[in-house]
This record gives sequence, C-alpha cells and structure tokens, in this order.
Amino acid sequence: MPQPTTDLWPRLRDLLPLAERPVRYLNHEFGSVYRTPEDDPADTSFVMVYPDTYELGQANQAIRILVNCVNAQPGMYAERAYLPAAEFADQMREAGLPLFSLESCAPLREFDAIGITLPHELAATNVLEVLDLAGLALRAEDRAEADPIVLGGGPCAFNPEPYSAFFDAICIGEGEEAMPEMVACIGAGRAAGKTRQEILEDLADIPGTYVPGFYRVLPDEEAAAWGYRVKPVNGHALPEIQKRVFEGFAQSPAWEPCIVPFADLVHDRLSVEILRGCTRGCRFCQAGMMYRPVRERSADNIVEGALDGLKQTGYDEVSLTSLSTTDHSQIKEILERMNAAVAGKGIQVSIPSQRLDSFGVDMSALVAGEKRGGLTFAPEAGTQRLRDVINKNVTEEDVFSSITAAFREGWRRCKLYFMIGLPTETDDDIRGIASLVTRVYEAAREVTPPDQRGRVRVSVSLSLFVPKAGTPFQWDGQIAPEEALRRVNLLRHSIKFRAIDVNWHDPATSFVEAVMSRGGRECCDVIEGAFKRGARMDAWTEHFRPEAWRAAAEEAGVDAEALAQRTFDLAEVLPWQHISSGVHLSYLRLEHKRAFKEQTTPDCSFGTCTGCGLCPDYGIDVETQEVRVG
Amino acid sequence: MAKRTMPVPAVRYERDANGGELLYRLRFRYCEKGRLAMLSHLEVAHYLERVVRRAELPFAITNGFSPHMRISFGGALPVGVGGTCEIFDLLLYRDVSPEEALGAVRAASVPDLLPYACERIDRRAKAASVAYPKSTYEVVFDRPVASLAVPEAVEVVRKKKTRVLAPADFLIEPPAFAGDTMTLKLVSKDTGSLRPDVLVRAMTAGTDVKVASITRTALAE
Ligand code: SF4
Repeated sequence: MPQPTTDLWPRLRDLLPLAERPVRYLNHEFGSVYRTPEDDPADTSFVMVYPDTYELGQANQAIRILVNCVNAQPGMYAERAYLPAAEFADQMREAGLPLFSLESCAPLREFDAIGITLPHELAATNVLEVLDLAGLALRAEDRAEADPIVLGGGPCAFNPEPYSAFFDAICIGEGEEAMPEMVACIGAGRAAGKTRQEILEDLADIPGTYVPGFYRVLPDEEAAAWGYRVKPVNGHALPEIQKRVFEGFAQSPAWEPCIVPFADLVHDRLSVEILRGCTRGCRFCQAGMMYRPVRERSADNIVEGALDGLKQTGYDEVSLTSLSTTDHSQIKEILERMNAAVAGKGIQVSIPSQRLDSFGVDMSALVAGEKRGGLTFAPEAGTQRLRDVINKNVTEEDVFSSITAAFREGWRRCKLYFMIGLPTETDDDIRGIASLVTRVYEAAREVTPPDQRGRVRVSVSLSLFVPKAGTPFQWDGQIAPEEALRRVNLLRHSIKFRAIDVNWHDPATSFVEAVMSRGGRECCDVIEGAFKRGARMDAWTEHFRPEAWRAAAEEAGVDAEALAQRTFDLAEVLPWQHISSGVHLSYLRLEHKRAFKEQTTPDCSFGTCTGCGLCPDYGIDVETQEVRVG
Repeated sequence: MAKRTMPVPAVRYERDANGGELLYRLRFRYCEKGRLAMLSHLEVAHYLERVVRRAELPFAITNGFSPHMRISFGGALPVGVGGTCEIFDLLLYRDVSPEEALGAVRAASVPDLLPYACERIDRRAKAASVAYPKSTYEVVFDRPVASLAVPEAVEVVRKKKTRVLAPADFLIEPPAFAGDTMTLKLVSKDTGSLRPDVLVRAMTAGTDVKVASITRTALAE
C-alpha cells in the first residue's frame, strides 16, 4: 500500500479552537522524527497508538521504545498517535475528521500497520474508540484487504482473549525485536501482493505472535481433553504462544531517544530504564511474572545514558525506572555518580520505588537533597500471615525500620499502599492494616522532633485485589464491590488519628478490571456492547459508566460476576492458557498452594533459582551486574 | 537527626568588588509561529528553559530548596496568537558572546519557536515582562476588510470573574486597515491588559469575517 499522503492538519487546525488543550494535537515537539523527501516512499508505514490521551501516553515507555525500534530499521518508519479527549473526539466525529498520527497528521487508516498497546484492563473500550475514530471496522474479520493490519501488545496481551476479535495479530511479551519483525513482514507481504490472509499467516510464523482469527473456541469437554480453550484452525498457528524476551536488554544503550513535549505534564522528565524484571515474587503481581528474568544494565551504561539523555533533552529531572529500582546491584554507585555529575545544575535525580527496608530509605535520602516530599511504601497487607500468603517478603520490623529511618532523615509524610480482598483475607487482616498504620504513625512521631510532630502525616491508599492472568492468584476470585466497601469502612472506623487519611479506588472499576483480566472471547461482545452504549475512557472517574458495562454483559449473556468473583479450580482450563509468559503453569500452581500454606518463596535474583521454568526453556539466565545483597 | 545538604554546587560564581555575584545578562528574541502559536505562555516558558539546558549555556540558578534557572520571559501571548519579536532574558555565571549563545540555542530549538537575535543587556535593566508595555499586532482576516467598529466595552472573564474593559483605554491609536490586514496597537497597564484576540472577537462579532491569524509584530517601551 502506498504511504499516507493525506495531511489532515488544515482541517484539524480549524477544529483546534474547540479543543480544551490544543497542545495535545500539535506535534512538532523537540525530538520528533519526520519523513524527509530523501526517504524511500516504499518504506512500510507504522503508527503506534496509546489508547488514552497524550498526557497519559506521551511518557509511555512502550510507545517510545517501539517507535524508536521501528525507526531504527531500514525499510520502515513509525509515527505516534493518541486518543483525543472525549469531548474533542466527538467534535472530530461531527466534523468528519478521522484519527490522525502526530508527525504527519495522516489518517490512521492510510498506514500499513497500526500498533495499539494495551497498558491496563480499563483501556478496552478505548481500543474500540481508536478503531472507530480511525474509520476502521471494529472487528478484524470485517476489515477490508487494503485496511491496515491492526497489531496489539502490552501487559494485557497476557490474556488477549477479551480483545481477540479486534486485533489482527497480537505480540506477546517484549516488542523490541518482535515489532520490527512484524512490520517488516507486513511490508514484505504487501510488496509481494499477498492477501491479508497470507500476511496473517506469515505473522503467525513469527515467534510470540498470536493471530486470534486462526483459532476456534472449544466446548468445555474438548478443551479439557486438548488442554487449551482454543485450538488452531490454521496450519501456521501454534497451540501455545510463548512470550518474546528481548535478550539484548542489558547490553542495549540506556539512553533511548525520546520526545520532549511542550505540554506541562505530570511526569514530564527523562526516564531511564535501569533494569527489567522483578522476581520478588509477589503472588498477585502480573509484571513480576511477565518480565522475567531480571536483567540489569550496567552502572556505566546507566550513568552515561542518563547524562547523555539530560544533555539531549534539556530535562531537569531524571527518573531511574524499573519495577524495583533499589534492587539494582549497583544502585548506590549509580546514584552517587549521578549526584556528583549533576551537582549545581538544578537537576533532580529520582527513583520511583524503594524497597521496604532502611537501604531503600538510604537510597531515597541520597537523591532527595533537602527536598523531603512524601515517601511511598507498599506493605500490601496488614498482617504477617497475609504478607506471607502473598509472598511480600517484608516483616513488620522492615516496615518500622524503614519508616523510622525515613522520619529520622527528615521526611514528614509517607504513603502506604495496601490491597484489600486478597485471597484468605479476614476482618482480622483489615484490622491489622489499621493497627499497623497506627503504630507506624506513632513510631514516626516518636522519632520526629517535638516541634515538628504536628506535620507528621500518614496516608493509606487502598486498592482492590484484581486476579491477574498469569499469576499464582489467577484462580482466585475478587470480592464483591459491596464487600470491598464494607472492608474499607471497617478499616476507616478502626483508625483513630486524624493525621492518618484513607483513600480508596472505586471498586466498580476494579470489578471491570477483574472481568477483563479473566474473561474469555465472550468478553469481546461485552466490550463492544459497552462501547456502543457510550463507555470509553473508563479509567477516568468522570467518564466511567458502570451501567453501560452491566447492560452490555447482560445482552451478551455473560455472567460478569462469575468471571470476576468465582474461584477457579486449579485443574480448570483457563481462557488464556495458550499464552505463556514463560513461567510454567505447574510453578504457578505450586505458588498458589504455597500461598494457602502461608509459605514464602525467595527472590531468585538474590539467591538461587526457584524453578519457575523460564530460564532453562529460553536458554538464558538472570543478569545482575554484581551479586545482589539484601 | 542526620543533616544533609544539597551536593556542593559545581559552579563557582565570580564576585564583584563588593562580593556580589558577577552575572551576565543576555536578552534573546525569538519567533513563535505556525501551529506553535497555539501553545500557552507556560508551555513556551517550559520549552525555552529546556532549550537553554540543551544549549549547555552556563546559566545561573537560584538558591534554595528547589533551585531553578534564572530565566525570565516577556509579556505573555494568548493561546492562538503568534509573535515575531518575543523576548526572554537569561542570567549567566560566565560571559558568553551573544553570537555564541545564539548559535547554541538555535541548534537546540524547533523551527517554529526559534531564537534569532541575542544581545547583552544591563543586569539592572527593566525585567523582560515589563520592559515593553506597547505591542503591535497584525490581524489577518479571511478577506479584505475596510473597517470594523471598536466596541465601547468588552466583557472579559478571568478566573470565573467578569470584568468590563474599555478598549479605548488600551488602544494607542485607532486600528488601521489595509487589504485583509488590521494593525492594532495596544498598551498594557499595571492594572491589567486587554487581550488582542478578545478585542478582535468583539470587533468581528455579528459579522461573518473570520480571523486567519493574529501575530505580535513589534514591542515598544
Ligand atoms: S527460571 Fe529460575 S532464575 Fe530464571 S526467572 Fe525463573 S526462578 Fe528465576
């Protein structure tokens, strides 16, 4: 297909006075990559979409990485696109303006391929909003020969079934290598005049690629016999899809070019990914299972990359990101070298997460300078018993030593994250949260000079447990929203101090997350039904429409409560069983059993392999720079 | 309690005879055109700070809890209004020639927000934001316009409060018309200013004349 030629800018410009924040749609940011007349017009065109607004998607790592990877390959190029704000989307519809890419302001449907990342379960209806605004058929089966191939990927791809009808192909796992391979495959297919079906077959041959249209859903007995819920109906499709791992991650440069937006965004700073993976092994955590094994970039790579990035972007803040930054075996050296290098330049170094021990606090103190904002910790559960169940290998002593260390260091505020509704939780565990935060507050006051004690604040942030596909808790049901609110209230009434405030997320949205996380193909109808009833931007409280979801589930004949709340049998064939994160199902089952026996499992990046099965299958290993201690 | 201080600044300021910091002040002129006229003042300010960092100029920073760049900006342009003579001032701790500084910031800029001149100015000169209270705007319409009446009063809403302003208080001279272009000269007062786009909207209300662009083309003391 020829490259996009339509420039929608003149039409967009006329609409912009209606936009709440025009800056979302302007592009021309520093660091954007444009086509030049010297570029080959035969290059395959790809647009990477974040299914939410520019503000939320701009800093997204997947968009940044994949656009860079595709642009780095000869014969192809990538642009970016974001969803407009809901009101502006309606204005675009009214004006007949389709969804456009930022760089060339071209209609999405003129590209060879469209990639949509699935960052979280509440983005489901936004995927349809993207397709609809782009003027494409919502369902893959309804797309025409010349329509772009719609590719998916990202965290939610580990249970792709609820999205399966909407994507032509889905990339499972890390996309650094897979995405350029897929774009190349589409380009080659089109150049050779292949049909859409033939191109999809070629895509299915790429490791880690799932083409949902090549499978049929099996009835229960057949599924039990086959071992998966779906069965290939095309010779190119594999019974099980193994995720991709980017094996060159640790050696790849830590400085990855990025766009510097004009917009004043919340997390507008340079981010440098210092390591990938976290094997602390929290049993509810999907990221912990998905991004195995742990791979650290070296201190030299990170420091040089961060300094180079600061110089090239002009940012005044750099965040060293990962799932567990303070676990990096060279973190102290990295932070000390960074501090020395940016001294006197008004540049802030930050780390997003710290482990719950005094080492974590020391590392935070190292970068905080005289700024003492708030520190966040995630004990997740209020009693030792429940922390053992979820494998949060943190003792009460760890909690207190880190909190008192933080308040001794001058912090006056801290935020504690807890999950409610975790498997086996009882009211004692809820009261345990109250007791823990009360004692934390008292301990914090104790180590704070008397004249400053009035400033001590502890805030508690509660989220509802969502069973995630691919985790040891994937079988466990979520508690009902009403029960969640009862537990929240129990907690609130058990806390006596005004300086402790309690916040919680709306359990109704967590309910939708659980349905999307554990549903099968029947959920495609639910998403489409909800979208047609006006659901979109579900992650935004002001847009969330629970009634649209309820009505859609009813119409589709889907028992949403059962999907979210039922506890599945360990022997049951799960809707996503054909998607493998590399962690063996037997290991997940073992971890599930250990949870209910309140047995913990250590972190393999600090000690020996605990046998999840991934490394031997892939012929790879944990890559730390030095021996981890802690 | 362990006492921590910010890492010792790598910068050693030069001192004058009285021990004051010896700083150098540069004034840059830049244009803001095309679609980037849709940026807000804050977004442009943000952008320019990053330009200066990318240019690796030896900028001075403030002391205190959250040190920031000693940069200051000229009078704000409303969203949708471009400019060809916008200014910002920068304090440096080391003398850099205006030519060198200009070259460095240009290399770090995007084409529609591009500095094109730079000069040394006295450290005690008036702040960039108040140096030039008089602005000339060129308003281009979608057709030739012979004249438009200036209303006696315009209502402006700011922070949910409505104020009534008299354009006559802000107009330096009556608007001039030539072909499809109108020239407006407005002065800003200590008590406030009248936005050119607000005035133009009031002047074109009730007509079917459409505005193609508004650009600030000159600043005066
Ligand atoms: S195979 Fe072993 S070392 Fe590798 S991620 Fe799994 S538990 Fe860790």
